[in-house]
Amino acid sequence: MRFLAATLLLVGFASTAMSQDMPLSDVLIEGQGWELVADGYKFTEGPAVDADGNVFFVDVPNQLVLKLDHASGKVSTFSEGNGATSGLMFGADGKLYGSQNRDRRIVVFDEAGKMQVIADDLGANDLVVASNGNIYCTDPKEHQVWLVRPNGQKQVVAKDIASPNGIILWPHEGTLVIADSAGENLYSYRVEEDGTLSYGSPDYTCRLPEPEAPSRADGMTVDTKGRLYVATAVGVQMFDSTARISGVMLKPDGKAPSNVVFAGPKLDTMYVTARDAIYRRPTQATGVRYGKVKGK
Amino acid sequence: MARILAALSVCFCLFVTTAHAQDEQYVPGPDAERKEGVPQGTVTHHVWDKSEIYPGTVRDYWIYVPKQYEKGKPACLMVFQDGGGFVNEKGQTRVPIVFDNLIHSGEMPVAIGVFIQPGVVPPAKKGQAPRKNRSFEYDTLSDQYSRFLTEEILADIGKQYDISDDPQHRAICGNSSGGICAFTVAWEHPEQFGKVVSHIGSFTNIRGGNVYPALIRKTEHKPIKVFLQDGENDLDNLHGNWPLSNQQMAAALKFSGYDYKFVLGVGRHSARHGGAIFPDTMRWLWSDVVEKN
Repeated sequence: MRFLAATLLLVGFASTAMSQDMPLSDVLIEGQGWELVADGYKFTEGPAVDADGNVFFVDVPNQLVLKLDHASGKVSTFSEGNGATSGLMFGADGKLYGSQNRDRRIVVFDEAGKMQVIADDLGANDLVVASNGNIYCTDPKEHQVWLVRPNGQKQVVAKDIASPNGIILWPHEGTLVIADSAGENLYSYRVEEDGTLSYGSPDYTCRLPEPEAPSRADGMTVDTKGRLYVATAVGVQMFDSTARISGVMLKPDGKAPSNVVFAGPKLDTMYVTARDAIYRRPTQATGVRYGKVKGK
Repeated sequence: MARILAALSVCFCLFVTTAHAQDEQYVPGPDAERKEGVPQGTVTHHVWDKSEIYPGTVRDYWIYVPKQYEKGKPACLMVFQDGGGFVNEKGQTRVPIVFDNLIHSGEMPVAIGVFIQPGVVPPAKKGQAPRKNRSFEYDTLSDQYSRFLTEEILADIGKQYDISDDPQHRAICGNSSGGICAFTVAWEHPEQFGKVVSHIGSFTNIRGGNVYPALIRKTEHKPIKVFLQDGENDLDNLHGNWPLSNQQMAAALKFSGYDYKFVLGVGRHSARHGGAIFPDTMRWLWSDVVEKN
């Protein structure tokens, strides 16, 4: 048995020396493709995971914030008629934050679904909430990104991106990535100690539907290994921890996904919103929580 | 079950060991050893942290200057990606020792070596991951890295040293992604670099580099002399198959009439084989310059 352990160590060493290639097969499970969970909506977006692993998502034109129970797959209405929420994410305080681009504001929902505005007069297509409470949101119309501090103070922290859309932080929150839906690249920025962004670089390059076409890169998520997933016109694209493309997952029922999140009690089920529906598939990856979510 | 597992482990171990042995036959030769009476050049260490082309990146680099270098006499140049491994006198390639020996014997011209590490954007806070810029710099098919090289690092080095601007006097070398990077620099700017050395080059689809054989075949011949090394046991992964890609490169260079040399050994994805034959590679690469002198 000891001999076996030593052998496994050697084998482990040999594969480590081969570098950190991260193929799709490290994440996907054979025979376990997309499963339709719910449909019949106008346009689904903004999947967010709560402390128990359930998914909240939105039907943007219908002004619906919905809760999807991971265990049963049942969907219930969490909030209705409170504006066209397009992005959602839970903060470390356990509250659900939302971005409303059409209504130009950042909002927060309490457990009963009651909404409060925390910042307004800003474009806010999608958002990410850091563990210190800082919120970053994308403003596609003005080609910029905002930082909204917990006290509601806001400032522009990135500019000159053609159409900033999806936004996510790396594990440990040292790097923030912005998807440019009009272009080919995702942009990485260093998050400074004061929350501002610096050193933007187009270091993720997406597969395009055809040369020069927009990627339609939208919502993103990351996993514990530093892989990044982005919903695009050709499907969910996966990148390794050094921004090299690992592969593209097929579109569920041929529908281009708008956003992606890991949910379930172990954060190993990938959910995507796509047009009128929401889909999921089990994976071998584990998603990331930002800060300690209340209740866990 | 335990018995089957043990047997399987032994098989796998033997396989791994065989592949290792194939790679380990490649060792530095006598040209990579210090010899009495051979003048030694100097190696100085520097840090580049003011890049505008790769904002926020920090990187180490080293400059090797041979003893025979004379101010006012433009020297040849050789640039190395992942320079830390090439400049290491205990590594697989031991460039400063090889250069000292071959310059002394007149088998290569007086050449300044520049050994550059890929950039890293350090995190703002402890415990956060740095952003490693290597793949973006090396695997991208554009002239961004060559502009960084010529407009930033080499422009700065040129203030202190006289370096020839004849592309036949300027070579660039790298392993793996550093190998395709070397090719990209010369491909984008053949008026800057006329000599390329690629070991286990990643002419695969990491960021689209698999298209080079097709581009070479359908582009007017560029004045670049190319050395390629790869091994039969090199990588076969999601990005591509390294031995096949390097054979495609060699075939395309042949088709388009390039002055090239391709050495296919049995090694793995390591610096060993390219390092072991590096002195002969230098003899071949610089032979046209030595003949003229």
